[in-house]
Amino acid sequence: MAFSFDRYAAIIFIVIGACFIFESRKISETAYGSNVGPDIFPMGLGILLILLSLRLLFETRGTSQDKAATGALDYKKFIIIFAAAILYALFLEKLGYVITTFVFLTIGFQVMEKGKWLKSLVIAGGFSFGIYYVFVKVLDGTLPGFPVFF
Amino acid sequence: MEALHFLGDGFSIALQWHNIAFAFFGVLIGTAVGVLPGIGPMSGVALLIPVTATITSGLDPQSAAASSIILLAGVYYGAMYGGSTTSILLNTPGESSSVVTVLDGYQMAKKGRAGAALSIAAIGSFVAGIVSLIGLVLLAEPLSNIALEFGPAEYFSLMLLGLCAVSGLAGSSMTKALMMTVVGLLMATIGIDSVSGVSRFTYDNPNLYSGLEFLTIAVGLFALGEVFKTILEKDNGDGDIIKVKKILPTKQDLKDSAAPITRGSLLGFFIGVLPGAGATLASFFSYIMEKKISKDPKKFGQGAIEGVAAPESANNAASGGALIPLLTLGIPGSGTTAILMGALIMYDVQPGPLLFDDHPEVAWGLIASMFIGNVMLLVLNMPLVKVFSKIIETPKKYLLPIIIAISIFGVYAVQNTMFDLLLLLACGAAGYFLAKHDFPLAPLVLGLVLGPMIENNMRRALTGSDGDFMIFLQSPISLIFLIFALLWILIPVVLKMRGKNVITNEEG
Repeated sequence: MAFSFDRYAAIIFIVIGACFIFESRKISETAYGSNVGPDIFPMGLGILLILLSLRLLFETRGTSQDKAATGALDYKKFIIIFAAAILYALFLEKLGYVITTFVFLTIGFQVMEKGKWLKSLVIAGGFSFGIYYVFVKVLDGTLPGFPVFF
Repeated sequence: MEALHFLGDGFSIALQWHNIAFAFFGVLIGTAVGVLPGIGPMSGVALLIPVTATITSGLDPQSAAASSIILLAGVYYGAMYGGSTTSILLNTPGESSSVVTVLDGYQMAKKGRAGAALSIAAIGSFVAGIVSLIGLVLLAEPLSNIALEFGPAEYFSLMLLGLCAVSGLAGSSMTKALMMTVVGLLMATIGIDSVSGVSRFTYDNPNLYSGLEFLTIAVGLFALGEVFKTILEKDNGDGDIIKVKKILPTKQDLKDSAAPITRGSLLGFFIGVLPGAGATLASFFSYIMEKKISKDPKKFGQGAIEGVAAPESANNAASGGALIPLLTLGIPGSGTTAILMGALIMYDVQPGPLLFDDHPEVAWGLIASMFIGNVMLLVLNMPLVKVFSKIIETPKKYLLPIIIAISIFGVYAVQNTMFDLLLLLACGAAGYFLAKHDFPLAPLVLGLVLGPMIENNMRRALTGSDGDFMIFLQSPISLIFLIFALLWILIPVVLKMRGKNVITNEEG
């Protein structure tokens, strides 16, 4: 049976709520000088979240599919750019800001629209060097600029 | 008039050359954000928080806070000006508060009166901006004096009211809005508890000790979420842009729109002050009102200048009005003001009744800079409207990857951890999927910002009453707030059951 997004989301939120309730029981109960410990607020919220999620399940009962079939989504572009962004985040510290940003932007531009290589390279290069220069040289910020072995 | 004296001090801060520059770039970027479809005021402000944080890093904390909030607020109200441009020229609203402007604005443009429509929108926005600022100056002191009397119980109830108001009006399903609020509050509990010093849900991960960073979440949910949406949905609004010919409105235009601008400003201001009801609702209501008052309602939808003047004034007035609860009570009434509040807290400036005493330069400097910013916007928008209409043509293929790169740069520059970058991307994906399925994001951010304060006030109140929850009902002010909070949630439900249409605030 195909569930709609809302029902999946409701179930996920019930799990999240349950986790918060379960985990908040582990927090040491009383704080000094107060009988309202740090566990009460998250526990109460967890219960509230579960109740609301149950209400959402109730509201969306019977709906098995998302009502709006919103045309073909461009998952290919999205996944490539998203994956590139994750790699960008992972390698930012190791390879330095300038190289990773340049590579990420070039990939991004080319995925959005193939061709016009020169323009892509110039904009990507200008952005990565420009930001690095302004931030590190003018504003004295810290940013890993280039790979360590340079 | 004490307020005038403070305002004078505010002007002396706002007129420092760097603050003039900050206000100028704020409104300039704001107008661009408003013009570009796909980037709303929320993502624009969120995206710029880390950028301003780096630029102001050389200043002392007080002036850094004042300067950044001047720039960020400039983006916020500048976007209200810019939003009308695409509505009029492209038949696509640049942001949700300009949706009704499309109805008459595009029709006017088709009849060759694009220039008149744009300039009336700019003039209306200017008048409304000034009206709401005067309201802000007059109400700020008295309101914050009242709020100073509040104890923790009253504060808890007031914040609850704020959350309920935003949830009650956000998006199509109130259940989803409330769920998002609770998720935001839960996320706020992660980290070291400020009352007892116990660490909660951190699992000995040092990245979590200080809690999930507000900035990372806001940039991810709003800025990246919208970028992902545009990539996925091939939303290449390549409509024909109507050329602007003559800019200045005729005398008849000015005469026709004077009354709608006044009415729109006043209505918008009062709607803006109410928590939850933001610029979108204000523009909507003022359009309906003009149509009702008009002697000739048929001309609406066919290029009536009143239909541009009133809603554009109203959304600007509302954005000014929305700053009142933020600055005087510390309660943001909308998603964008919640982000502004998060930015202030990042600078250790706590919005609320004490703001005007503790940080007068921030509060009054901001108010004074908004007068200056509104004048700048009028000057920018009248002659430069043609230049701004060119921004619409910025190719998306360059813009989108650059927005991702700016988000990553900004978050890394402030946080310096890879953990935050991955959290940022995760929030971006979550933001897209949640927003796509009508889970409103504004309540989540509101919950995240207000969470620690709600919890602290609740626990302080309960400590005072020996754990007796009745304290929230015994204090009359607190009881009134709670009743209002309940009504805010219940009335739309009752109306829906009776089959009435409930207008909701999409922008939040």
